[in-house]
Amino acid sequence: MSGKNIFVDKYSTKSLKDFVGQDESILLIKRFIINFRKGKKACIIHGPTGSGKTSLIYALANDMGFEVIELNASDFRGRKDIESHLKRASEQKSLFSKSKIILIDEIDGIVEGKDRGGLTYLESFMLESQYPVFLTANDIWQKKFNSIRQKCELVQLREANHNLITLFLERICATEGIKANRDALLKLAIKERGDFRAALNDIQVLCSGSSTISNEDVDKINEREKDEGIFNALQLVFKMVKLDSKILSAYENLNMNLDDVSLWLDENIPKEYSGKELAKAYDFMSKSDIFKRRIMRQQHWGFLVYQNMLLTAGISSAKSSPKPAFTKYQRPSRLLKIWMFNRKKEQVKSISIKYARFTHCSIKRAVKEFEILKIIFRRDKIREELNLTEEETEFLRN
Amino acid sequence: MSEEKREGKGFSDIWTERYRPNNFKDVIGQEEIVKRIDGFVSSKNLPHLLFSGPAGVGKSSLALIVVKKLFGNNWKENYLELNASDERGIDVVRQKVKNFARTRSLGDVTFKIIFLDEADALTKEAQQALRRTMENYSGTCRFILSCNYSSKIIDPIQSRCAIFRFSLLNEKDVEKIIKNVSKNEGLDVDESAMKALYEVSNGDCRRIINLLQASSSVGKKITAEVIYQIVSAAKPKDIKKILELAIEGKFVESRELLLEVMLKQSVSGLDIIKEINREIWKLNIKDEEKVKIIEKCGEIEFRLTEGSDEFIQLESLLASFLLIGKGKE
Repeated sequence: MSGKNIFVDKYSTKSLKDFVGQDESILLIKRFIINFRKGKKACIIHGPTGSGKTSLIYALANDMGFEVIELNASDFRGRKDIESHLKRASEQKSLFSKSKIILIDEIDGIVEGKDRGGLTYLESFMLESQYPVFLTANDIWQKKFNSIRQKCELVQLREANHNLITLFLERICATEGIKANRDALLKLAIKERGDFRAALNDIQVLCSGSSTISNEDVDKINEREKDEGIFNALQLVFKMVKLDSKILSAYENLNMNLDDVSLWLDENIPKEYSGKELAKAYDFMSKSDIFKRRIMRQQHWGFLVYQNMLLTAGISSAKSSPKPAFTKYQRPSRLLKIWMFNRKKEQVKSISIKYARFTHCSIKRAVKEFEILKIIFRRDKIREELNLTEEETEFLRN
Repeated sequence: MSEEKREGKGFSDIWTERYRPNNFKDVIGQEEIVKRIDGFVSSKNLPHLLFSGPAGVGKSSLALIVVKKLFGNNWKENYLELNASDERGIDVVRQKVKNFARTRSLGDVTFKIIFLDEADALTKEAQQALRRTMENYSGTCRFILSCNYSSKIIDPIQSRCAIFRFSLLNEKDVEKIIKNVSKNEGLDVDESAMKALYEVSNGDCRRIINLLQASSSVGKKITAEVIYQIVSAAKPKDIKKILELAIEGKFVESRELLLEVMLKQSVSGLDIIKEINREIWKLNIKDEEKVKIIEKCGEIEFRLTEGSDEFIQLESLLASFLLIGKGKE
């Protein structure tokens, strides 16, 4: 199979206009480059695996005529190594006399102990660099990044939502001449959890040697190895009898955000706990959720400690008796429904916003009265007055 | 939304806008308040105002009248409307105020007006920040703050405002409003319907007019049946079943049904809790257990106003029922 046939390459985004749903981030990055001389010297693009961090840089470079000098932080072996790599990068003469940008991929891979001084060196390097420096990371909130974070422009890529990935997959199927059941693609999109790269690889598997894709086909795609980590974490939390502070780092190296961890807990708590224990565990879940909301509202990341503590020590302490038996944990099964529920909430909210602006009331109030307002929105003239989109009208019809 | 449409709101198809009072004399209820505010406007001099009172009794309408009387046709350029609970924090509010206050007022009135609704949704700290903003721009801007409970507004802000307490509309006022709307819309609203409307709305005028409009889609004759039908359509169903399952200890089934309900119907977590509060008394469990459940509902409702994920919060509510009579009949 020649390189051209690998979907990850064939369908990689070559231009910024191929990116959907990351407009704000793209704007920030462009602005960073334009202001490079007087502004921050480096930009950290962070977000979940497969959300498009590296592709974004390449697409940008393509559009703006830059050459990318790429280094992968996981190749670094100690500070001296970092030094020589970076030195070489900045001295490298451009083959086509283009302007350059330096990309250091996956800085999560820099281990503070091993690569001692590596991050500090990186910081001083970027401050002196004559070319814009881009860094990518999965989790930028780790303590080791505290210093470097403040010196960089931060751009977050959101996890692609299932809708986008489904659209993306549909396009690919159309191009490859494959007949795919839309529900099957939606199912696959949900499995991929925002990871475009994984989606491309899986769709390639499904497309090879077949001209149709059905629900059953999608079921056969194995869940990725991500599961092993979370299984171990769940075991630790549910089985630990005497609380030990090591439980606090149960979810640390999972490459999964706490929202996803909550989904796993939500699914599996009833498998381990019952009665009073179950009630206690869900109480901790709900308290943890409050901290999540506070983090978002106040941007006070100090609360993360509490959110995490409740989901680790809290849930663990809820047990009233040891659980030594082996438990087969399951993947969150209600994702599709919860996704649909959230979509619905979004629609209700977007319509409510328009109504609220028009009638001088709060959005909250409009959402509260929605069932009654729905009846009023049946009139065409009113939907016109509020400037409802076709999608919103369609939603109301159901 | 085009300019003309906004101007001619009197011709809007949304009744709450069509029947919004445009003059001081059209405001129903709140006579004392209207008199004093009319006085301020005539003298073209206004202190900061604090409107306190229940929803739907005329706070926003009165602010709009003030602005229109002061500025005439230029009112839109001199008016900024914000809602504290919709904005993402006090910094966003202050930024918007800053941008608005930068430009001078048009016309012979020396200040512009900022209407901040649900000011009591702001935390104490946010209100302190708001007070500083009010001070910084009091030369060029007057604030009209609106809230449900003035006790939630910090003293320094209260002392800087003229406070007006709006009262709930009484039955006579509500009747006047209903009669006005039905006359113009050709509706036939009987006595029982009037009583029903008053009962389900708590004197909230906005809600009443919305209910009238929704009911009119059924027909021109509005009876109590129709009103109750519309109101109950907005209530979540199957709540009784969900509760019964939870109390029987069938947590997993109970939450599956909850998810179904939340998906199929556009009900919010708060609606569900309200309905649980109603259903609980009809259940066949001990009284002290009913009380415990209601207590737990209160806790969860509080968390709902703070926490974002309705499903997790309600789930934990259902889980707590496991602590209460398992299968006790």
